[in-house]
Amino acid sequence: MRNSVNRPPTPDAVEDQEKEPTLQEIINIKMIESGEKEKLMELLRERLVECGWKDEMKALCRAYIKKKGTNNVTVDDLVHVITPKGRASIPDSIKTELLLRIRAFLASAAL
Amino acid sequence: MMSRNSMYTNPKPCKHLADYKLRHGLSGYNLLQEQIRTTPSGKSSVKNHQTEIPRCCFCNGYQKRLYLCLICSSISCSSHTLLHSQCENGHDIAVDIERSELYCVLCCDQVYDPDFDKIVMLKHLMDLPRSGNGVDVSAGRRSSKRRRLCSALELDLKKTKQLVSMRDLRAKSCYPLGLRGLNNLGSTCFMNSVLQALLHAPPFRNYFLTGQRNHEVCRKRSSDRLCLLCDIYVFFSAVFSGDRTPYSPAQLLYSWWQHSANLASYEQQDAHEFFISVLDGIHENGVKARSPIKDTGECHCVAHRVFSGQLRSDVTCMSCGYTSTTYDPFMDISLNLDTGNCPSTDLANKSLKPSDNTYVSTLLGCLDLFTKPEKLGSDQKFFCENCQERQDSVKQMSIKRLPLVLCLHIKRFEHFPVRRMSRKIDRYMQFPFCLDMNPYLSSSVVRNRFGNRMFAFEGDELDTSTEFEIFAVVTHSGTLDSGHYVTYLHLKDQWYKCDDAWITAVEEEVVRASQCYMLFYAQKMLYYKANEDLVCQPVSPRADPFLPIAGCC
Repeated sequence: MRNSVNRPPTPDAVEDQEKEPTLQEIINIKMIESGEKEKLMELLRERLVECGWKDEMKALCRAYIKKKGTNNVTVDDLVHVITPKGRASIPDSIKTELLLRIRAFLASAAL
Repeated sequence: MMSRNSMYTNPKPCKHLADYKLRHGLSGYNLLQEQIRTTPSGKSSVKNHQTEIPRCCFCNGYQKRLYLCLICSSISCSSHTLLHSQCENGHDIAVDIERSELYCVLCCDQVYDPDFDKIVMLKHLMDLPRSGNGVDVSAGRRSSKRRRLCSALELDLKKTKQLVSMRDLRAKSCYPLGLRGLNNLGSTCFMNSVLQALLHAPPFRNYFLTGQRNHEVCRKRSSDRLCLLCDIYVFFSAVFSGDRTPYSPAQLLYSWWQHSANLASYEQQDAHEFFISVLDGIHENGVKARSPIKDTGECHCVAHRVFSGQLRSDVTCMSCGYTSTTYDPFMDISLNLDTGNCPSTDLANKSLKPSDNTYVSTLLGCLDLFTKPEKLGSDQKFFCENCQERQDSVKQMSIKRLPLVLCLHIKRFEHFPVRRMSRKIDRYMQFPFCLDMNPYLSSSVVRNRFGNRMFAFEGDELDTSTEFEIFAVVTHSGTLDSGHYVTYLHLKDQWYKCDDAWITAVEEEVVRASQCYMLFYAQKMLYYKANEDLVCQPVSPRADPFLPIAGCC
């Protein structure tokens, strides 16, 4: 059988990308499996209610619905419209607190 | 759509949900029930038995909203639900895994089905500890609310003609009946202001005017003792006589002093304290005169019949979800001012600095604050019956039963026992003239704990009116030690300022801008009925402390 020694093996590029999870994914998965993510979500929910963020989002939703009319808005619409505003208005203190918690988790999980 | 209790009318299912129900009935829901995981905080999510994290079957993603198909249990993310529906015909209805909420793929929107919510709620109830939970599935009982309202109307309808005939021929002003200045007897504006409000509380007023208080046969008076109820009756008669010259409620003041000896002095007193004290006096007088209270435990003195409601307090254990519920009566509700301050820092993109607080306090904000779940501090750990130990817990207040007349007291006087000083909070608070108390009822508050569920909770009183109209505002100006109370009355679509002996008609803007201390709201029906009874008369040529109004009536 003739083969070219110099010919490199066909790269399984696509397959590789699917198989190799990024660091972010690994951390995320570890956190979900250990239940830490759920705890952090609870903490986040609490903080966002406390600082009035949730109320502000509610108000934004109401304003949007009022503008468009109750029958012309779907949940998907709202999610698409509100998400960027929501992400942008998270207080820094909350971000910091969560990052510290994640860091602590990483240390304890020896990643 | 804007029916009175629109919260209780379930939204109609979309075509696709209706189709699904026809074909599959409740089987999909029932299978799902086992996979629902609930938390003590009221959240429910779908977690199947796989140890792996749920992923979209198309893109393997796990970070977007994930939806579980009710028919084949395959999971798609929000971007791929439509794809799934296209691949499998009829797979249109899914469940949001995180929230246990129904979603129609073709409508791209959340949909509601009471049957589904019932199954979710049943799971909650199964998971909650046995010995007591904040939720009862008993059918909403038709409470005595209907009866109370009817008896209130009776107070109204009886002998309205008698009211009209009480008109004194001397009275010729254009003001409604029952509007009369009250002389200040020495820092008694606190009393005058509250009396003006009581004079126009519909069922209260009618009780005294329709002769239900028969003071001729009052035993106390016949033995020459003071009777607060009789004195109030005399007071009402005098004010509604039609005579417009300012009246001196000296007898009433003296009678009240006898009852509340600790408050008897010529010093300025607190109007709210006076209000509570007077109601208490009426209750005491009434209780002795009447037959024993029936088994319902409700008192039938006029003070309770008009002003008393019931508060519900829920304390929930954060570990297991066990909720301890208690009910307490109230004659009024004292509210803290909502200042818009939060424990953590202000929102990132707000340009306001903490010192630059332009947040306006509102009555609805105060009521929200009152019914907000409150985390009890670590020094107030609640002993959970279920866990058998002290746990962190959350407390939430709500209104179980509304009174006929709702008195809301704004806490403007702050006392610091440690520093031994007190101060007054002058902060402006905006208040509405029409108030719907629905969101603050126990049924609404408890319902909200479990998310957006179409489910009838205990005591959902579908025939109860929650709409109130304002009829009196007691305002305070000045400092803690030296201030002045003024009452604004809302009669027949006109506002009147009652400043001791001086009564003037004012524009509603004046009232809106005032610094309210006590707000009096009456059930809408009672308010409008009461206003019909007030009769207007032609203009008076007499000089009296009223400023003449051109073109009234």
